[in-house]
Amino acid sequence: MLSIKNLHASVEGKEILKGINLEVKAGEVHAIMGPNGSGKSTLSQVLAGNEAYEVTGGEITLNGKNLLEQETEERAREGIFLAFQYPVEIPGVSNLQFLRTAVNAMRTHRGEPEINAAEFMKLAKEVSKQVDLDPAFLKRGVNEGFSGGEKKRNEIMQALLLQPKLAILDETDSGLDIDALKVVSDGVNALRSEDRAILMVTHYQRLLNHIVPDHVHVLAGGRIIKSGGRELALELEERGYGWLGIRDEDTANETGQ
Amino acid sequence: MKPAPTLSSAFLKPGGQSLPAPLLALREERGTGLVDMPLPTRKTENWKYSSKYLKLADEMATSLSNEGKPGPSLPAPGYKVVFLNGVMMPEASDYPDLDDIRIRSFRDLSDDEAKTLASRLDSTLDTDAVQMARLNSARFEDGLLIQLKPEARLDQPLFIVHEVTADASGSAFPRIFVEAARHSQITLVEEYISSGSEPVMVNTVTEFDLADGASITSVRLNTEGDSVQHIGATGVRQQRDSRFESHTVGFGGPLRRHDLQVRLEGEGAECKLNGVVVTQDKQHYDNHTCIEHVAAHCNSEETYRNIAADTSHAVFNGRIHIHQDAQKSNADMNNKNLLLSNGAEIDTKPELEIYADDVKCAHGATIGQLDETSLFYLVSRGIGRREANVLLTMAFINELVEEIPVDAVKETVQVQLNQFFEHTFQEA
Ligand SMILES: Nc1ncnc2c1ncn2[C@@H]1O[C@H](COP(=O)(O)OP(=O)(O)O)[C@@H](O)[C@H]1O
Ligand SMILES: [Mg+2]
Repeated sequence: MLSIKNLHASVEGKEILKGINLEVKAGEVHAIMGPNGSGKSTLSQVLAGNEAYEVTGGEITLNGKNLLEQETEERAREGIFLAFQYPVEIPGVSNLQFLRTAVNAMRTHRGEPEINAAEFMKLAKEVSKQVDLDPAFLKRGVNEGFSGGEKKRNEIMQALLLQPKLAILDETDSGLDIDALKVVSDGVNALRSEDRAILMVTHYQRLLNHIVPDHVHVLAGGRIIKSGGRELALELEERGYGWLGIRDEDTANETGQ
Repeated sequence: MKPAPTLSSAFLKPGGQSLPAPLLALREERGTGLVDMPLPTRKTENWKYSSKYLKLADEMATSLSNEGKPGPSLPAPGYKVVFLNGVMMPEASDYPDLDDIRIRSFRDLSDDEAKTLASRLDSTLDTDAVQMARLNSARFEDGLLIQLKPEARLDQPLFIVHEVTADASGSAFPRIFVEAARHSQITLVEEYISSGSEPVMVNTVTEFDLADGASITSVRLNTEGDSVQHIGATGVRQQRDSRFESHTVGFGGPLRRHDLQVRLEGEGAECKLNGVVVTQDKQHYDNHTCIEHVAAHCNSEETYRNIAADTSHAVFNGRIHIHQDAQKSNADMNNKNLLLSNGAEIDTKPELEIYADDVKCAHGATIGQLDETSLFYLVSRGIGRREANVLLTMAFINELVEEIPVDAVKETVQVQLNQFFEHTFQEA
């Protein structure tokens, strides 16, 4: 489904991704792990098409189509979804209006009729319950005044509504307490399906206790330096990143949030 | 050095023949005061950013004829008074004839009534600060007098539609005076519209006089065309515990100027002033507001938003003057501005003069562009660029549009905004 070949990307003239190679098939869950600053969010943002990041080399295809030629909104309509590490607050645009506009943009793209306000309200209420968000959140501004955990649940809610082909979850586990982690991982597990791929970007392995990945990759210094099965995540948990020769001061001091 | 420009004598025209004698006399007296009146220039502080848009050719001095028929005006569910080129059109109007709420043309006043009115016209305005309003007092042909007796309440909004026909060059001088006695209450909508495309000037004065406990909600919507230079002034005087709420929504033009002056003269009076301005192409819009906290224990709350696209130019000047005796004043002024293109210009200036020591006064002004991070977030969900831009621009003014207390106006504003979005945001 997703094929990344020798991807190089830089931000503000500084090279961050230095030759990424990755193949993800439909139905698979891949975890990308790595210390802070290794380029995980950069990779996620590049996949979603953030123009602040400049792709300087390599290629990305989604189901054979060249992703790099597509605008962000086209990529989204083709099925790419990024759950942001830092979801944006947009006061003045209600969550409900935002979600309905997004769902209708997708529907229009697929040649389906738009969903009306009443129908959508029903759907949105159901999905908000699934991620344990009070439907009252729908009326508030997008992420406005949401706690960190509420923002992450809102991201998962969007994924559930938009039903992407490829969901990229950038540290969707960070900043969550145990209960919220359970809610979020249930949501992610609900997304798992034969025709969908999931790319879980994470610093810690604890999400992987709830969502078992098919493949685990270690990203360091802008390159994938090791790939393996889920046992690699466990090994990282036990031995830290230092074992792979990565200078990892932050990680050594952190024990999960 | 070039001599400072003065008002052309062409603008000092006789007229007002249909007015009752005392008003005609007032008009003539005001006219003599206009001889050699200096016109605002770049050096005139309160016209600094806007004088270059003021272009008064002599052909524009003639009063526009009111022989025509008013065009189809916007839907006005409620009562309606229609003015054409500053003259009331009774046939096109539809309003109640009540004992405790009198709605009349200046032309229909008795000499005694006109005499009383003449003594009160201009009493709400500081005509040094709104110098162009003096032209209205010298040139009005008619006007609307609304008098509410104590406790009177109008059960529906009263729409006052001011239409100008710009089929020939000329000018119109709409005038409104509202006298709200104790605890009376009214919602008014002033709508300024135009047809035709010749250069014209519309020079308006609206005055609100609120006695103790009176409550006025005023909506002002300006959608005049691109050949209309609009110079408007609104004066408000508030006595004890009265409440004035205004919603000013304006779309740009070759010259748009509105001065809003509120005097809080009785304790416990409060005003809430909302404003939305949207400009595109080479349009201009300038809002000058001035709130005078004269008495103690008054509240003022002001929220203005400007959106400027293309090479348009919006101006906001908000003055708050807290007098020495106005202790326990509470004043809050907020102005946010959104530039939708690099060629657009917005000038904003808060002016605070505070002479009392025990007051709360907050003010803030910002100028910014649409937030790229927010835009990316929206498009990353499949929302098109155009729609994302619209959502974010709407987000900037949503609250103020929602607060407009008359649904029909809200709808008209939304239609205008949609046209603006259509023009401003193209699909990528
Ligand atoms: N917008 C940006 N501007 C400047 N530097 C950035 C930006 N985004 C990321 N970087 C830099 O790129 C490197 C990788 O960051 P990031 O991709 O966020 O890492 P991770 O998500 O793995 O913690 C870091 O050194 C970071 O400082
Ligand atoms: Mg990151």
